[in-house]
Amino acid sequence: MTASPVFRVYDRPILKKPVLIVGWIEDASRLSLRSADFLIHNLGCTEFAEILPEGFFPLAGVNVEDDVANFPESKFYVSKEHNLIVFKSNVPRTDWHQFLKALLEVGHEKCGAEELYTMGTMISYAAHTMPRVLISIVNHPDMKAELEPYNVMSNTDFDTPAGQKPTLSSYLSWVAGQEGVKTANLWVPIPFYLVTQEDPRACKRLLYFFNSRHNLGLDLRPLDDEVAEQNNKIAGLFKKSPQIEALVRRLEVGEPLESEDAEKLAGEMAEALRKK
Amino acid sequence: MSIKYVREPDLADPVMIASWPGIGNIGLIAVDSIRRSLNAEEMAYIEPWDFFYPSRATIRDGVLLNIQFPASTFYFKKTPRRDLMIFFGEEQPAEGGRVYAEGSKAYAMANMVIEVAQRFGCKRIYTSGAAVAPIHHTARSSVWAVPNTPGLLDELKSYRNTVLMSDIEGRGGQGNITGLNGLLLGVARRRGIEAVCLMGEIPVYLQGFPFPYPKASKSVLEVLTDVLGVDMDIQAMNHLAEQNERELAALYERLPQEIKDQLDRLKQVTAAAQESQDAITEEDKKKILEDIDKFFKKEGGGEQH
Repeated sequence: MTASPVFRVYDRPILKKPVLIVGWIEDASRLSLRSADFLIHNLGCTEFAEILPEGFFPLAGVNVEDDVANFPESKFYVSKEHNLIVFKSNVPRTDWHQFLKALLEVGHEKCGAEELYTMGTMISYAAHTMPRVLISIVNHPDMKAELEPYNVMSNTDFDTPAGQKPTLSSYLSWVAGQEGVKTANLWVPIPFYLVTQEDPRACKRLLYFFNSRHNLGLDLRPLDDEVAEQNNKIAGLFKKSPQIEALVRRLEVGEPLESEDAEKLAGEMAEALRKK
Repeated sequence: MSIKYVREPDLADPVMIASWPGIGNIGLIAVDSIRRSLNAEEMAYIEPWDFFYPSRATIRDGVLLNIQFPASTFYFKKTPRRDLMIFFGEEQPAEGGRVYAEGSKAYAMANMVIEVAQRFGCKRIYTSGAAVAPIHHTARSSVWAVPNTPGLLDELKSYRNTVLMSDIEGRGGQGNITGLNGLLLGVARRRGIEAVCLMGEIPVYLQGFPFPYPKASKSVLEVLTDVLGVDMDIQAMNHLAEQNERELAALYERLPQEIKDQLDRLKQVTAAAQESQDAITEEDKKKILEDIDKFFKKEGGGEQH
Protein backbone atom coordinates (compact mmCIF):
# COMPACT_ATOMS: atom_id res chain seq x y z
CA MET A 1 0.00 0.00 0.00
CA THR A 2 1.43 3.39 -0.90
CA ALA A 3 0.73 6.64 0.97
CA SER A 4 -2.02 8.76 -0.55
CA PRO A 5 -0.91 12.04 -2.12
CA VAL A 6 -1.39 15.01 0.20
CA PHE A 7 -1.80 17.68 -2.49
CA ARG A 8 -2.43 18.04 -6.20
CA VAL A 9 -0.97 20.69 -8.50
CA TYR A 10 -3.01 21.00 -11.71
CA ASP A 11 -1.07 23.72 -13.44
CA ARG A 12 2.20 24.80 -11.90
CA PRO A 13 2.66 28.54 -12.51
CA ILE A 14 6.04 30.07 -13.30
CA LEU A 15 6.52 32.87 -10.78
CA LYS A 16 9.43 34.86 -9.42
CA LYS A 17 9.52 34.84 -5.61
CA PRO A 18 5.77 35.37 -5.35
CA VAL A 19 3.97 36.55 -2.23
CA LEU A 20 1.77 33.95 -0.55
CA ILE A 21 -1.34 35.14 1.30
CA VAL A 22 -3.19 32.65 3.50
CA GLY A 23 -6.87 33.11 4.35
CA TRP A 24 -8.57 30.76 6.78
CA ILE A 25 -12.25 30.24 6.07
CA GLU A 26 -13.16 30.03 9.76
CA ASP A 27 -12.45 33.51 11.09
CA ALA A 28 -14.44 35.93 13.22
CA SER A 29 -16.32 38.42 11.06
CA ARG A 30 -15.23 36.30 8.03
CA LEU A 31 -12.42 38.82 7.58
CA SER A 32 -9.85 36.37 6.35
CA LEU A 33 -12.28 34.69 3.95
CA ARG A 34 -13.70 37.97 2.63
CA SER A 35 -10.23 39.40 2.07
CA ALA A 36 -9.02 36.24 0.31
CA ASP A 37 -12.12 36.23 -1.90
CA PHE A 38 -11.68 39.94 -2.66
CA LEU A 39 -8.12 39.29 -3.81
CA ILE A 40 -9.08 36.22 -5.85
CA HIS A 41 -11.95 37.93 -7.66
CA ASN A 42 -10.45 41.35 -8.15
CA LEU A 43 -7.05 40.15 -9.29
CA GLY A 44 -8.52 37.47 -11.54
CA CYS A 45 -6.72 34.67 -9.71
CA THR A 46 -7.10 31.13 -11.03
CA GLU A 47 -7.05 27.91 -9.05
CA PHE A 48 -3.93 25.83 -9.65
CA ALA A 49 -3.52 23.40 -6.74
CA GLU A 50 -5.17 22.01 -3.65
CA ILE A 51 -4.36 20.13 -0.46
CA LEU A 52 -6.57 17.05 -0.37
CA PRO A 53 -8.93 16.73 2.59
CA GLU A 54 -8.23 13.13 3.56
CA GLY A 55 -6.30 12.90 6.80
CA PHE A 56 -6.84 16.56 7.71
CA PHE A 57 -10.60 16.79 8.04
CA PRO A 58 -13.23 14.43 9.47
CA LEU A 59 -14.97 12.97 6.45
CA ALA A 60 -17.82 11.26 8.21
CA GLY A 61 -20.41 13.49 6.54
CA VAL A 62 -20.91 17.13 5.64
CA ASN A 63 -21.68 20.23 7.66
CA VAL A 64 -24.68 22.27 6.63
CA GLU A 65 -24.21 26.02 6.97
CA ASP A 66 -26.73 28.65 5.86
CA ASP A 67 -28.87 25.83 4.46
CA VAL A 68 -26.07 24.54 2.24
CA ALA A 69 -23.90 21.44 2.60
CA ASN A 70 -20.23 22.36 2.88
CA PHE A 71 -17.15 20.32 2.26
CA PRO A 72 -13.69 21.28 3.47
CA GLU A 73 -11.49 22.91 0.86
CA SER A 74 -7.86 24.00 0.78
CA LYS A 75 -7.12 25.64 -2.55
CA PHE A 76 -4.30 27.64 -4.10
CA TYR A 77 -5.05 30.47 -6.51
CA VAL A 78 -2.56 32.47 -8.53
CA SER A 79 -2.36 35.87 -10.17
CA LYS A 80 0.65 35.61 -12.48
CA GLU A 81 0.35 39.27 -13.33
CA HIS A 82 0.77 40.28 -9.71
CA ASN A 83 3.15 37.46 -8.80
CA LEU A 84 0.77 36.50 -6.03
CA ILE A 85 -0.60 33.26 -4.58
CA VAL A 86 -3.69 33.12 -2.39
CA PHE A 87 -4.31 30.01 -0.31
CA LYS A 88 -7.88 29.76 0.95
CA SER A 89 -8.64 26.92 3.31
CA ASN A 90 -10.72 25.56 6.11
CA VAL A 91 -8.74 25.09 9.30
CA PRO A 92 -7.55 21.46 9.39
CA ARG A 93 -8.82 19.39 12.29
CA THR A 94 -5.88 17.00 12.61
CA ASP A 95 -2.31 16.40 11.34
CA TRP A 96 -1.67 20.13 11.36
CA HIS A 97 2.08 19.83 10.89
CA GLN A 98 1.74 17.72 7.76
CA PHE A 99 -0.89 20.13 6.45
CA LEU A 100 1.34 23.17 7.00
CA LYS A 101 4.30 21.36 5.42
CA ALA A 102 2.12 20.62 2.38
CA LEU A 103 1.08 24.28 2.21
CA LEU A 104 4.75 25.30 2.19
CA GLU A 105 5.74 22.57 -0.25
CA VAL A 106 3.34 24.00 -2.83
CA GLY A 107 3.81 27.69 -1.99
CA HIS A 108 7.52 27.79 -1.19
CA GLU A 109 9.25 24.76 -2.72
CA LYS A 110 7.23 24.46 -5.94
CA CYS A 111 6.29 28.12 -6.53
CA GLY A 112 9.21 29.90 -4.82
CA ALA A 113 7.29 32.07 -2.31
CA GLU A 114 9.63 33.56 0.28
CA GLU A 115 7.20 35.95 1.91
CA LEU A 116 3.99 34.73 3.49
CA TYR A 117 1.09 36.52 5.17
CA THR A 118 -1.80 35.20 7.19
CA MET A 119 -4.92 37.21 7.99
CA GLY A 120 -7.08 37.11 11.08
CA THR A 121 -9.18 39.02 13.56
CA MET A 122 -8.82 39.88 17.21
CA ILE A 123 -11.74 40.89 19.39
CA SER A 124 -11.66 44.50 20.47
CA TYR A 125 -13.67 46.49 22.99
CA ALA A 126 -13.39 49.65 20.93
CA ALA A 127 -16.35 51.13 19.06
CA HIS A 128 -16.87 50.45 15.35
CA THR A 129 -16.38 54.15 14.63
CA MET A 130 -12.73 53.97 15.70
CA PRO A 131 -10.12 53.49 12.94
CA ARG A 132 -9.07 49.90 12.31
CA VAL A 133 -5.45 49.18 13.13
CA LEU A 134 -3.26 46.47 11.69
CA ILE A 135 -1.11 44.40 14.04
CA SER A 136 1.67 42.14 12.83
CA ILE A 137 3.45 39.23 14.42
CA VAL A 138 6.48 38.29 12.32
CA ASN A 139 8.78 35.32 12.45
CA HIS A 140 11.94 37.27 11.64
CA PRO A 141 13.12 40.74 12.70
CA ASP A 142 13.90 41.58 9.04
CA MET A 143 10.23 41.25 8.22
CA LYS A 144 9.38 43.64 11.03
CA ALA A 145 11.71 46.24 9.54
CA GLU A 146 10.17 45.73 6.10
CA LEU A 147 6.66 46.39 7.42
CA GLU A 148 7.62 49.56 9.28
CA PRO A 149 6.69 52.00 6.47
CA TYR A 150 3.11 50.65 6.33
CA ASN A 151 1.77 51.88 9.65
CA VAL A 152 1.61 48.40 11.12
CA MET A 153 1.73 47.94 14.89
CA SER A 154 4.47 45.44 15.60
CA ASN A 155 5.38 45.59 19.27
CA THR A 156 3.19 42.83 20.75
CA ASP A 157 4.37 40.80 23.75
CA PHE A 158 2.35 37.64 24.26
CA ASP A 159 2.50 34.21 25.89
CA THR A 160 -0.30 31.74 25.21
CA PRO A 161 -2.31 31.56 28.44
CA ALA A 162 -2.67 28.19 30.18
CA GLY A 163 -5.59 26.22 28.79
CA GLN A 164 -5.42 27.93 25.39
CA LYS A 165 -3.53 26.93 22.25
CA PRO A 166 -1.55 29.05 19.80
CA THR A 167 -3.31 30.03 16.58
CA LEU A 168 -2.78 27.99 13.43
CA SER A 169 -1.28 31.14 11.89
CA SER A 170 1.39 31.23 14.60
CA TYR A 171 2.04 27.55 14.03
CA LEU A 172 2.39 28.19 10.28
CA SER A 173 4.82 31.04 10.94
CA TRP A 174 6.96 28.77 13.05
CA VAL A 175 7.00 25.97 10.46
CA ALA A 176 7.73 28.52 7.70
CA GLY A 177 10.57 29.96 9.78
CA GLN A 178 12.18 26.51 9.89
CA GLU A 179 12.19 26.57 6.08
CA GLY A 180 13.53 30.10 5.79
CA VAL A 181 10.25 31.68 4.73
CA LYS A 182 9.56 35.08 6.26
CA THR A 183 6.04 35.54 7.54
CA ALA A 184 3.76 38.15 9.02
CA ASN A 185 0.55 37.20 10.80
CA LEU A 186 -1.68 40.22 10.22
CA TRP A 187 -4.42 40.83 12.77
CA VAL A 188 -7.18 43.40 12.70
CA PRO A 189 -9.00 44.06 16.00
CA ILE A 190 -12.76 44.07 15.39
CA PRO A 191 -15.43 45.41 17.76
CA PHE A 192 -16.90 42.53 19.73
CA TYR A 193 -20.37 43.33 18.48
CA LEU A 194 -19.33 42.83 14.86
CA VAL A 195 -17.64 39.43 15.16
CA THR A 196 -20.73 37.60 13.92
CA GLN A 197 -21.17 40.16 11.13
CA GLU A 198 -18.85 41.39 8.43
CA ASP A 199 -16.63 44.38 9.07
CA PRO A 200 -15.84 46.11 5.75
CA ARG A 201 -13.62 48.65 7.55
CA ALA A 202 -11.37 45.83 8.75
CA CYS A 203 -11.36 44.24 5.32
CA LYS A 204 -10.39 47.53 3.76
CA ARG A 205 -7.57 48.07 6.25
CA LEU A 206 -6.09 44.68 5.46
CA LEU A 207 -6.42 45.04 1.68
CA TYR A 208 -5.06 48.58 1.81
CA PHE A 209 -1.90 47.15 3.31
CA PHE A 210 -1.53 44.56 0.51
CA ASN A 211 -2.30 47.22 -2.06
CA SER A 212 0.39 49.53 -0.70
CA ARG A 213 3.09 46.97 -0.10
CA HIS A 214 2.65 44.90 -3.25
CA ASN A 215 1.24 47.46 -5.71
CA LEU A 216 -1.80 45.36 -6.50
CA GLY A 217 -3.85 48.24 -7.91
CA LEU A 218 -6.98 47.04 -6.12
CA ASP A 219 -10.03 49.27 -6.28
CA LEU A 220 -11.23 49.38 -2.68
CA ARG A 221 -14.24 51.64 -3.32
CA PRO A 222 -16.75 48.76 -3.12
CA LEU A 223 -15.70 48.41 0.49
CA ASP A 224 -16.40 52.10 1.08
CA ASP A 225 -19.92 51.43 -0.21
CA GLU A 226 -20.27 48.57 2.24
CA VAL A 227 -19.08 50.81 5.09
CA ALA A 228 -21.66 53.43 4.10
CA GLU A 229 -24.42 50.80 4.00
CA GLN A 230 -23.40 49.50 7.41
CA ASN A 231 -23.33 53.05 8.78
CA ASN A 232 -26.88 53.58 7.53
CA LYS A 233 -28.13 50.45 9.24
CA ILE A 234 -26.41 51.38 12.49
CA ALA A 235 -27.81 54.92 12.27
CA GLY A 236 -31.27 53.38 11.90
CA LEU A 237 -30.67 51.28 14.98
CA PHE A 238 -29.50 54.32 16.97
CA LYS A 239 -32.62 56.20 15.97
CA LYS A 240 -34.80 53.33 17.11
CA SER A 241 -32.80 52.63 20.26
CA PRO A 242 -30.97 55.58 21.88
CA GLN A 243 -29.83 53.17 24.61
CA ILE A 244 -27.73 51.24 22.06
CA GLU A 245 -26.25 54.47 20.77
CA ALA A 246 -25.35 55.44 24.35
CA LEU A 247 -23.53 52.13 24.77
CA VAL A 248 -21.49 52.73 21.61
CA ARG A 249 -20.66 56.26 22.77
CA ARG A 250 -19.40 54.84 26.05
CA LEU A 251 -17.08 52.51 24.11
CA GLU A 252 -15.87 55.47 22.05
CA VAL A 253 -14.52 57.12 25.19
CA GLY A 254 -13.00 53.88 26.44
CA GLU A 255 -15.59 53.17 29.10
CA PRO A 256 -16.08 49.42 29.69
CA LEU A 257 -19.56 47.88 29.48
CA GLU A 258 -21.20 45.48 31.90
CA SER A 259 -21.59 42.03 30.34
CA GLU A 260 -25.37 42.43 30.20
CA ASP A 261 -25.02 45.69 28.24
CA ALA A 262 -22.39 44.17 25.98
CA GLU A 263 -24.70 41.24 25.18
CA LYS A 264 -27.59 43.60 24.47
CA LEU A 265 -25.43 45.69 22.14
CA ALA A 266 -24.12 42.63 20.26
CA GLY A 267 -27.62 41.13 19.94
CA GLU A 268 -29.33 44.28 18.66
CA MET A 269 -26.46 45.14 16.34
CA ALA A 270 -26.58 41.65 14.82
CA GLU A 271 -30.33 41.97 14.31
CA ALA A 272 -30.01 45.41 12.68
CA LEU A 273 -27.14 44.42 10.37
CA ARG A 274 -28.86 41.26 9.22
CA LYS A 275 -31.74 43.28 7.75
CA LYS A 276 -31.58 43.80 4.01
CA MET B 1 7.80 10.58 13.40
CA SER B 2 11.15 10.04 15.01
CA ILE B 3 13.00 9.61 18.25
CA LYS B 4 15.92 11.92 19.02
CA TYR B 5 18.64 10.61 21.30
CA VAL B 6 20.32 13.19 23.51
CA ARG B 7 22.50 10.63 25.30
CA GLU B 8 22.94 6.89 24.94
CA PRO B 9 23.88 5.72 28.44
CA ASP B 10 25.15 2.22 29.12
CA LEU B 11 22.29 0.68 31.11
CA ALA B 12 22.21 -2.80 32.64
CA ASP B 13 18.81 -4.55 32.55
CA PRO B 14 16.93 -1.31 33.09
CA VAL B 15 13.32 -1.14 34.21
CA MET B 16 11.15 1.55 32.64
CA ILE B 17 8.37 3.49 34.32
CA ALA B 18 6.09 5.41 31.98
CA SER B 19 3.16 7.71 32.39
CA TRP B 20 0.84 10.06 30.56
CA PRO B 21 -1.82 12.41 31.96
CA GLY B 22 -5.13 10.87 33.00
CA ILE B 23 -7.79 11.15 35.68
CA GLY B 24 -6.36 13.04 38.65
CA ASN B 25 -2.92 12.78 36.97
CA ILE B 26 -2.30 10.01 39.45
CA GLY B 27 0.40 8.09 37.59
CA LEU B 28 1.99 11.17 36.12
CA ILE B 29 2.52 12.77 39.53
CA ALA B 30 3.98 9.56 40.97
CA VAL B 31 6.38 9.08 38.06
CA ASP B 32 7.37 12.74 38.01
CA SER B 33 8.17 12.70 41.72
CA ILE B 34 10.55 9.76 41.14
CA ARG B 35 12.14 11.58 38.21
CA ARG B 36 12.66 14.73 40.22
CA SER B 37 13.77 13.01 43.40
CA LEU B 38 16.41 10.97 41.56
CA ASN B 39 17.52 13.86 39.36
CA ALA B 40 17.08 11.62 36.36
CA GLU B 41 18.84 12.84 33.21
CA GLU B 42 17.25 13.32 29.81
CA MET B 43 18.30 10.72 27.26
CA ALA B 44 15.81 11.00 24.39
CA TYR B 45 12.56 12.52 23.23
CA ILE B 46 9.87 11.82 20.65
CA GLU B 47 9.51 14.57 18.07
CA PRO B 48 6.16 16.11 18.85
CA TRP B 49 4.82 17.60 15.64
CA ASP B 50 3.17 14.52 14.18
CA PHE B 51 1.38 13.88 17.47
CA PHE B 52 0.43 17.21 18.98
CA TYR B 53 -0.82 20.70 18.30
CA PRO B 54 1.49 23.32 19.91
CA SER B 55 0.76 24.25 23.49
CA ARG B 56 2.34 27.69 23.71
CA ALA B 57 3.62 30.55 21.58
CA THR B 58 6.08 33.14 22.83
CA ILE B 59 5.99 36.55 21.14
CA ARG B 60 8.23 39.45 22.09
CA ASP B 61 8.15 42.89 20.55
CA GLY B 62 6.08 41.61 17.66
CA VAL B 63 8.42 38.71 16.82
CA LEU B 64 7.38 35.06 17.24
CA LEU B 65 10.30 33.66 19.22
CA ASN B 66 9.18 30.13 19.83
CA ILE B 67 6.41 27.55 19.67
CA GLN B 68 6.34 24.85 22.31
CA PHE B 69 4.77 21.41 22.05
CA PRO B 70 3.76 18.90 24.71
CA ALA B 71 6.94 16.95 25.48
CA SER B 72 7.39 13.16 25.41
CA THR B 73 10.73 12.67 27.13
CA PHE B 74 12.85 9.72 28.21
CA TYR B 75 15.13 10.00 31.25
CA PHE B 76 17.55 7.58 32.89
CA LYS B 77 19.10 7.07 36.30
CA LYS B 78 21.59 4.50 37.48
CA THR B 79 20.71 3.65 41.09
CA PRO B 80 22.51 1.26 43.46
CA ARG B 81 19.76 -1.36 43.08
CA ARG B 82 18.98 -1.05 39.38
CA ASP B 83 19.13 1.14 36.33
CA LEU B 84 15.95 3.04 35.58
CA MET B 85 14.41 4.52 32.47
CA ILE B 86 11.58 6.98 32.91
CA PHE B 87 9.17 8.08 30.20
CA PHE B 88 7.12 11.19 30.85
CA GLY B 89 4.41 12.23 28.38
CA GLU B 90 2.92 15.68 28.91
CA GLU B 91 -0.11 14.88 26.76
CA GLN B 92 -1.78 11.86 25.17
CA PRO B 93 -1.88 12.03 21.36
CA ALA B 94 -5.66 12.04 21.15
CA GLU B 95 -7.39 12.20 17.79
CA GLY B 96 -10.73 13.71 16.88
CA GLY B 97 -11.10 15.71 20.09
CA ARG B 98 -10.99 12.65 22.35
CA VAL B 99 -9.42 12.94 25.81
CA TYR B 100 -7.50 9.68 25.69
CA ALA B 101 -5.22 8.40 23.02
CA GLU B 102 -6.52 5.85 20.61
CA GLY B 103 -6.01 4.95 16.98
CA SER B 104 -2.94 5.05 14.79
CA LYS B 105 -1.11 7.86 16.58
CA ALA B 106 -1.49 6.28 19.99
CA TYR B 107 -0.27 2.99 18.59
CA ALA B 108 2.68 4.72 16.92
CA MET B 109 3.66 6.45 20.14
CA ALA B 110 3.36 3.25 22.17
CA ASN B 111 5.64 1.52 19.66
CA MET B 112 8.19 4.33 19.89
CA VAL B 113 8.30 4.00 23.66
CA ILE B 114 8.84 0.26 23.32
CA GLU B 115 11.52 0.87 20.67
CA VAL B 116 13.54 2.98 23.13
CA ALA B 117 12.98 0.43 25.90
CA GLN B 118 14.27 -2.39 23.71
CA ARG B 119 17.23 -0.41 22.45
CA PHE B 120 18.54 -0.22 26.02
CA GLY B 121 17.72 -3.82 26.92
CA CYS B 122 14.68 -3.07 29.09
CA LYS B 123 12.58 -6.17 29.84
CA ARG B 124 10.05 -4.75 32.30
CA ILE B 125 7.85 -1.66 32.07
CA TYR B 126 5.51 -0.14 34.63
CA THR B 127 2.79 2.27 33.61
CA SER B 128 0.43 3.93 36.03
CA GLY B 129 -2.90 5.65 36.08
CA ALA B 130 -6.18 5.96 37.95
CA ALA B 131 -8.70 3.38 39.13
CA VAL B 132 -12.07 5.03 39.58
CA ALA B 133 -13.54 3.31 42.63
CA PRO B 134 -16.53 3.71 44.96
CA ILE B 135 -14.33 4.71 47.89
CA HIS B 136 -14.44 7.65 50.28
CA HIS B 137 -11.80 10.35 50.05
CA THR B 138 -10.74 9.74 53.66
CA ALA B 139 -9.84 6.14 52.79
CA ARG B 140 -6.37 5.05 51.80
CA SER B 141 -6.19 4.47 48.05
CA SER B 142 -5.39 0.90 47.12
CA VAL B 143 -3.49 0.15 43.95
CA TRP B 144 -5.01 -2.01 41.24
CA ALA B 145 -2.35 -3.94 39.35
CA VAL B 146 -2.78 -5.38 35.86
CA PRO B 147 0.05 -7.34 34.21
CA ASN B 148 0.33 -8.12 30.51
CA THR B 149 1.17 -11.76 31.13
CA PRO B 150 -0.25 -14.33 33.60
CA GLY B 151 3.30 -15.19 34.68
CA LEU B 152 3.43 -11.95 36.69
CA LEU B 153 0.28 -12.52 38.74
CA ASP B 154 2.02 -14.24 41.66
CA GLU B 155 4.61 -11.49 41.85
CA LEU B 156 1.95 -8.78 41.91
CA LYS B 157 0.18 -10.48 44.80
CA SER B 158 3.24 -9.76 46.93
CA TYR B 159 3.09 -5.98 46.28
CA ARG B 160 1.87 -3.94 49.23
CA ASN B 161 -1.60 -2.40 49.29
CA THR B 162 -2.24 -3.87 45.85
CA VAL B 163 -5.16 -5.83 44.43
CA LEU B 164 -5.70 -7.70 41.18
CA MET B 165 -8.84 -7.28 39.09
CA SER B 166 -10.07 -10.67 40.33
CA ASP B 167 -9.79 -9.42 43.93
CA ILE B 168 -12.41 -6.77 43.24
CA GLU B 169 -15.85 -8.15 43.80
CA GLY B 170 -18.14 -8.19 40.84
CA ARG B 171 -15.39 -7.67 38.29
CA GLY B 172 -14.49 -11.28 37.69
CA GLY B 173 -11.00 -10.23 36.71
CA GLN B 174 -12.36 -8.03 33.90
CA GLY B 175 -11.74 -4.36 33.21
CA ASN B 176 -10.44 -1.81 30.79
CA ILE B 177 -7.48 0.56 30.96
CA THR B 178 -8.12 3.59 28.79
CA GLY B 179 -5.48 5.48 26.84
CA LEU B 180 -1.74 4.98 26.55
CA ASN B 181 -1.21 3.90 30.14
CA GLY B 182 -3.19 0.82 29.09
CA LEU B 183 -2.27 0.54 25.42
CA LEU B 184 1.43 0.35 26.25
CA LEU B 185 0.79 -2.92 28.10
CA GLY B 186 -0.68 -4.45 24.97
CA VAL B 187 2.07 -3.21 22.67
CA ALA B 188 4.73 -4.38 25.14
CA ARG B 189 3.14 -7.83 25.24
CA ARG B 190 3.11 -7.97 21.45
CA ARG B 191 6.82 -7.15 21.43
CA GLY B 192 7.78 -9.54 24.21
CA ILE B 193 8.26 -7.15 27.13
CA GLU B 194 6.70 -7.69 30.55
CA ALA B 195 4.59 -4.78 31.67
CA VAL B 196 2.40 -3.88 34.63
CA CYS B 197 -0.08 -1.04 35.04
CA LEU B 198 -0.46 0.27 38.59
CA MET B 199 -3.61 2.28 39.15
CA GLY B 200 -4.23 4.32 42.28
CA GLU B 201 -7.84 4.49 43.45
CA ILE B 202 -9.66 7.80 43.14
CA PRO B 203 -13.16 8.24 44.61
CA VAL B 204 -15.79 7.93 41.92
CA TYR B 205 -17.20 11.36 42.78
CA LEU B 206 -13.84 13.07 42.17
CA GLN B 207 -13.12 11.57 38.75
CA GLY B 208 -14.43 14.58 36.86
CA PHE B 209 -12.70 17.21 38.98
CA PRO B 210 -9.96 19.11 37.18
CA PHE B 211 -7.39 18.75 39.94
CA PRO B 212 -4.92 16.05 40.97
CA TYR B 213 -5.53 13.42 43.61
CA PRO B 214 -2.10 13.01 45.24
CA LYS B 215 -3.34 10.50 47.80
CA ALA B 216 -3.64 7.92 45.02
CA SER B 217 -0.31 9.04 43.54
CA LYS B 218 1.25 8.38 46.93
CA SER B 219 -0.09 4.82 46.97
CA VAL B 220 1.30 4.21 43.47
CA LEU B 221 4.59 5.79 44.48
CA GLU B 222 4.90 3.52 47.52
CA VAL B 223 4.46 0.45 45.35
CA LEU B 224 6.88 1.68 42.71
CA THR B 225 9.63 2.60 45.18
CA ASP B 226 9.28 -0.83 46.85
CA VAL B 227 9.38 -2.73 43.60
CA LEU B 228 12.19 -0.71 42.07
CA GLY B 229 14.19 -0.54 45.28
CA VAL B 230 14.38 3.21 44.95
CA ASP B 231 15.33 5.08 48.07
CA MET B 232 13.64 8.44 47.92
CA ASP B 233 12.21 11.03 50.25
CA ILE B 234 8.42 11.07 49.88
CA GLN B 235 7.86 14.01 52.24
CA ALA B 236 6.86 16.29 49.37
CA MET B 237 4.25 13.75 48.25
CA ASN B 238 2.99 13.35 51.82
CA HIS B 239 2.66 17.10 52.08
CA LEU B 240 0.73 17.30 48.80
CA ALA B 241 -1.60 14.49 49.88
CA GLU B 242 -2.26 16.12 53.27
CA GLN B 243 -2.90 19.50 51.71
CA ASN B 244 -5.31 17.92 49.22
CA GLU B 245 -7.09 16.08 52.04
CA ARG B 246 -7.57 19.36 53.94
CA GLU B 247 -8.97 21.03 50.82
CA LEU B 248 -11.33 18.12 50.21
CA ALA B 249 -12.44 18.18 53.85
CA ALA B 250 -13.31 21.87 53.50
CA LEU B 251 -15.21 21.18 50.29
CA TYR B 252 -16.98 18.24 51.93
CA GLU B 253 -18.20 20.48 54.76
CA ARG B 254 -20.01 22.65 52.26
CA LEU B 255 -21.96 19.71 50.81
CA PRO B 256 -25.63 19.32 51.78
CA GLN B 257 -26.16 16.75 54.54
CA GLU B 258 -28.06 14.45 52.17
CA ILE B 259 -25.04 14.13 49.86
CA LYS B 260 -22.66 13.76 52.80
CA ASP B 261 -24.77 10.88 54.11
CA GLN B 262 -24.58 9.17 50.76
CA LEU B 263 -20.83 9.67 50.50
CA ASP B 264 -20.32 8.43 54.05
CA ARG B 265 -21.69 5.06 53.01
CA LEU B 266 -18.54 4.77 50.89
CA LYS B 267 -16.43 4.75 54.05
CA GLN B 268 -17.33 1.08 54.46
CA VAL B 269 -16.11 0.14 51.02
CA THR B 270 -12.78 -1.56 50.56
CA ALA B 271 -11.17 -2.43 47.29
CA ALA B 272 -11.84 -6.08 47.78
CA ALA B 273 -15.48 -5.67 48.79
CA GLN B 274 -16.95 -3.02 46.64
CA GLU B 275 -20.30 -4.68 46.45
CA SER B 276 -20.82 -5.63 50.09
CA GLN B 277 -24.30 -5.28 51.48
CA ASP B 278 -23.71 -1.90 53.10
CA ALA B 279 -21.90 -0.44 50.17
CA ILE B 280 -23.49 1.44 47.32
CA THR B 281 -25.11 0.07 44.21
CA GLU B 282 -24.58 1.30 40.67
CA GLU B 283 -27.83 3.22 41.04
CA ASP B 284 -26.59 4.89 44.25
CA LYS B 285 -23.35 5.76 42.50
CA LYS B 286 -25.24 7.42 39.65
CA LYS B 287 -27.37 9.41 42.09
CA ILE B 288 -24.34 10.59 44.09
CA LEU B 289 -22.64 11.80 40.92
CA GLU B 290 -25.80 13.58 39.79
CA ASP B 291 -26.29 15.23 43.20
CA ILE B 292 -22.70 16.40 43.35
CA ASP B 293 -22.89 17.70 39.82
CA LYS B 294 -26.08 19.62 40.67
CA PHE B 295 -24.51 20.99 43.84
CA PHE B 296 -21.50 22.42 42.05
CA LYS B 297 -23.61 23.83 39.23
CA LYS B 298 -25.80 25.54 41.84
CA GLU B 299 -22.70 26.88 43.55
CA GLY B 300 -21.77 28.52 40.26
CA GLY B 301 -18.32 26.98 40.21
CA GLY B 302 -17.44 28.57 43.51
CA GLU B 303 -14.00 26.99 43.58
CA GLN B 304 -13.03 28.36 40.21
CA HIS B 305 -10.74 31.35 40.03
